[in-house]
This record gives sequence, structure tokens and C-alpha cells, in this order.
Amino acid sequence: MRTWRRFRRSPIATAAVGFVVLMTLVAAAAPLLAPYPPDAVELGRRLLPPGPAHLFGTDDLGRDVLSRMIHGARVSLAVGFLATALSLVAGSFLGAIAGYYGGAADWIVSRLVELVLCFPFLLLVLAIVALFQPSIWTILIALAITSWTTEARFVRAEFLRIREMEYAQAARASGARDPRIIFRHLLPNALGPVLVSASFGVASAILAESALSFLGFGVALPAASWGSILAVAQEYIEFAWWLALFPGIAIFATVAAFNLIGDRLRDALDPRA
Amino acid sequence: MSTYLARRLLYAALTFVGITIATFALIHSVPGDPVALYSGKMNASPAVLDAIRREHHLDRPLSEQYLHWARAVVRLDFGTSIAARRPVTPEIVRRLPNTLLLNGLALLLAATIGIPIGLWSARRPGRLLDRGTAVAFFLLYSLPSFWVALLLMQWLSVRLGWLPLFGMTSDGYGSMGAPAQVADRLRHLVLPVITLAYGQLAIFARFSRSAAYEVIRQDFITTARAKGAGEGSVLWHHTFRNALLPLITLLGLTVPYLISGSVIVEEIFQWDGIGLLFFDSIRARDYPVAMALTVVTAIATLLASLVADILYAVADPRVRLEREEA
Repeated sequence: MRTWRRFRRSPIATAAVGFVVLMTLVAAAAPLLAPYPPDAVELGRRLLPPGPAHLFGTDDLGRDVLSRMIHGARVSLAVGFLATALSLVAGSFLGAIAGYYGGAADWIVSRLVELVLCFPFLLLVLAIVALFQPSIWTILIALAITSWTTEARFVRAEFLRIREMEYAQAARASGARDPRIIFRHLLPNALGPVLVSASFGVASAILAESALSFLGFGVALPAASWGSILAVAQEYIEFAWWLALFPGIAIFATVAAFNLIGDRLRDALDPRA
Repeated sequence: MSTYLARRLLYAALTFVGITIATFALIHSVPGDPVALYSGKMNASPAVLDAIRREHHLDRPLSEQYLHWARAVVRLDFGTSIAARRPVTPEIVRRLPNTLLLNGLALLLAATIGIPIGLWSARRPGRLLDRGTAVAFFLLYSLPSFWVALLLMQWLSVRLGWLPLFGMTSDGYGSMGAPAQVADRLRHLVLPVITLAYGQLAIFARFSRSAAYEVIRQDFITTARAKGAGEGSVLWHHTFRNALLPLITLLGLTVPYLISGSVIVEEIFQWDGIGLLFFDSIRARDYPVAMALTVVTAIATLLASLVADILYAVADPRVRLEREEA
């Protein structure tokens, strides 16, 4: 609660939370909000600039860009949240084991983290997604494989700090088993820094998903994602500025919102500040 | 010191083996046969396909394939590209300077602008300038590079016609005089360099700010101020030199970031470098090339972080003990 009060003090962070909530609502209510079906091809209305009928213009197949963007919010947010949730679960679990038991467990997890960090992020994601056929599942798994290391390192460091604290010793003295100590007593107390990294994680997952879609390795659905509209924009760069402008703003604003939330959350949780 | 170094080197060797195994396992767990894909274009007979499989040792057991490949990797021999039917290593060597030029310039630009801004904003933490730059850099960092590239192309190339859209040289490059050739290459560099540099600029600024922030609160800075050193001298002589140490870590940090950025930027601007080669090899499922580049970039990252760690430990004796405990 104290953290939330300190968080609220920053107007920018509060606005960012508001924006994320708004985008989530837009994504949830996409079919109700979109003025046209996202995949309604109308070749007579190809590449129309923004106007009263199509606020953000139309694409190369005469589809309404605004409607495609509203549906695209679903892909971006779903990938962002789910990929982060996956890497959060995997990272927290491995980090907790490494930090709690130390010794061989710690050694193995630390070497694994070092190994994964050697592979350039996008290169590895691209390789996994492209070689195993692009789908929402390969994207989620690829993102989780490459990003669990951040959470694991944070949780490990927190566990090293708190595992010998009085309440942990008390739990142990009262006969609690290891899993109970780890998941009921220690993990909730290590969640602060994890929350911060999760917020940055959502931002980078959304960015990665749009990059993959832009490069042509995204989710293959009739309903587009923001990155795949930008891929079309690249083809028509000489005459269709609206195709590049609006989806880019959507990606940028969403990613910036999550990054700003993470930054302010870190400040709000910092006991020194 | 020597135990720290020995252990660090041992771990690096271990990670190296891990990198080769992980890459090999990744590529070989992929469904689909690269030779069949290749033959789809060529309409080859089954006998020819078998010959190609034998040539790439695809008919041997996996463990044998791995050992064969790993032995060759140590000799920097990555075999033959399935798509281009040419050896992989010379192709990488040919393209490497293009990527290094692009990334070197971007890194230089990012550091020369980002570090002074970071130091400057650490001087008065919490003030408007500091908070303003922090938010500005967060926004900069959140800009998708492919979008920035598209906007730059649209405005500077299409609308204003100032700069070429993509490629490394113009059509009549061969018939130009030497000064015109240099000018032409520079004009082609502007947009890709800006696209790569702005994100790193934000990283440099944030990193040097937090490094300087730790230094600037220490007693010797107060002493320097008290003995009458000017603000510029305090900032550059006393703060920067001590904040430089954490900046070494950035070396290890930026290498994988640069390579990831290169894939996107080189694809958009059709820059004839390593990133574009990787993208093309992934699209064509050209396993030897994709495998070679994955291993090479992972090893480059490994070496960068090894060098950074060793430099760090050599430069600052305070670090070593902390690292050994961690």
C-alpha cells in the first residue's frame, strides 16, 4: 500500500497505468469497438488515406486500418502478458531453487543463465519461431526461453538475502517443509523486484512480437497484429504514410507505458529513496 | 586474482561447449528436411538428394554429426551453404566489415552523445533536468527501431529525397571518382546508423547516469569540490574516470543488443552484412549458415563479457571479492 501511494505520486506512471487499462479494455471489446471486420477485403477501397469513413485509412487490400489495429491489440497484449507469465513462472521457480538450496542447484542454474544470455535475444527468438513454424505458441515459448533469466536472477538474489532471515528460520524451526518455506514464506517476499522486471518484460515481449510480425514471422491470423501492418507499410512506403504512422504509435505508446510503470515501480519499491 | 581468472576462463570454456550443443540441438530438432526444401526448387532426383545428404553428413547419427560439426567449428570451418552452394566462412568474413562499420559508427555516436548527457543529469539528481532526461530516454528506448526506420525513410528519402532509401551504394557506384564514392557510402550510412544509435544512446545515458550517481555522492567528490575544482573538472576528471569502470560492463551488455539490432536494421535497409545474412538464411532454412551465425554471435557475446569481466577485475580490486562471493 505504501508502495502504491508512492507510485501514485508520479502523474506519468498513473497515466501509464490508465493507458494500459484502456488498451486492455479495447483488446477485450475489440469486436464491439471495431467499425469494420478486421479482414473485410474491399479491393475498390485500396490504400485510401484517412477520412471520415476510415479514420486511419485502408491497407493494400482495402481493409480498415483502425479495425485491424483494434484487433491487433489482442495479439500484442496477449503475447505480452502470456510470455511474461510463462517466463515469470519458470524464472521464479529456477531462481528460487538456486537461491534457496545454493550449491549444485545454484551452480547449474547460474551456468544455464550464462548460456542463455550469450545468445542475442532476437536472433534466438527468430531462429526458434522461424524454424518451428510461426504460431502463437512458438512465439510464446521462444520468448519464455529467452527471457526467464532476468526473473531468475532477481529471485535468486532476493532469496540469498532473505533465506536466513528470522521468519524463514522460524518457519523451518516449526517444521515446515522446503516447498512450503519457498513458496509460502519466501517467494511472496521476493516479489517486489520480480514485479519490476515483469513490467519491463511485458514491454520487451510486445516489442519482440511486433518485430517478428514485421519481419514476417508473426502470428498468421486474418486479424493482423501491429507489426504486420507495418510490414505492409514498408512495401507501400512511397505512398501510404498512414499505414506506418498509426500502428507504430500504438506499439510505441504501449511499450513506453509498461517501461514507465516498471521504472516508477522500481523507485517506489526502493527503500533508499 | 589468478583463481578468479582461472575460474572465469573455465566457465567460459564450459559455456562455449554449451553454446555449440544448444545450437546444434536447436537446429536439428526442427521438423522438415533442408535438402528436400532445397530440391523443391531444383527438381532433383532422389539419387542427387542422397548425394547432397552425404555431402552434408546428414545420413550419419546425430552424435557423430555433432562431433564432426564441432571439430570443424573449432577450425572456423562452417561447411557449405545449402542455398548458395558456397562455403559459409568466406561469406561471413566478406560481410563482417559491413556490419562492423555500421555498428561501430552507431556505437560511437551513441557513446559521444549519451555519456555526457548521463553525467550531466547525475550532477543534480531529482532536478527537472534529470527527471526530464530520464523520461525522454525511456520514451526513446521504447521506440520500435523498425518503425523509426520506416518514418525516417518516409520523410528523409521519399518526401524530401535527401538520402537513399536502402542499399550500401548507388547504381553508378563503380564509375564514380574516389571522393564521390566516399560521399555516396556516407549518404547510405546515415539512416541505418541513426536507427541503430538512438536506442543505444538511451542505454548509454541511463547507464552512465547511474554509474556517475554512485560516484558523485562519495567523499572524494566533496573533497574535490571543497579544494576549489571547477564543475567541469569535477565532472570529467573525478566523476567520469571513476564511473568509467561500470561502463566497461556495457561492453558485454551491448554486443548481443547490437547483433539483434543488426538483423532488423540490415533487413530494412538491405545492408549487405551479417544480420541480413542471418535473416535470409532463416527464411531459406539454410541450416549451416544459420547455425554458423548463431554460434559466432554467441561466442562474440561470450568473449565480450569475458573481456569486460577481466578488465573490470584488473581495474578495480574492490570488485574481485564481491564477485567471488556472488
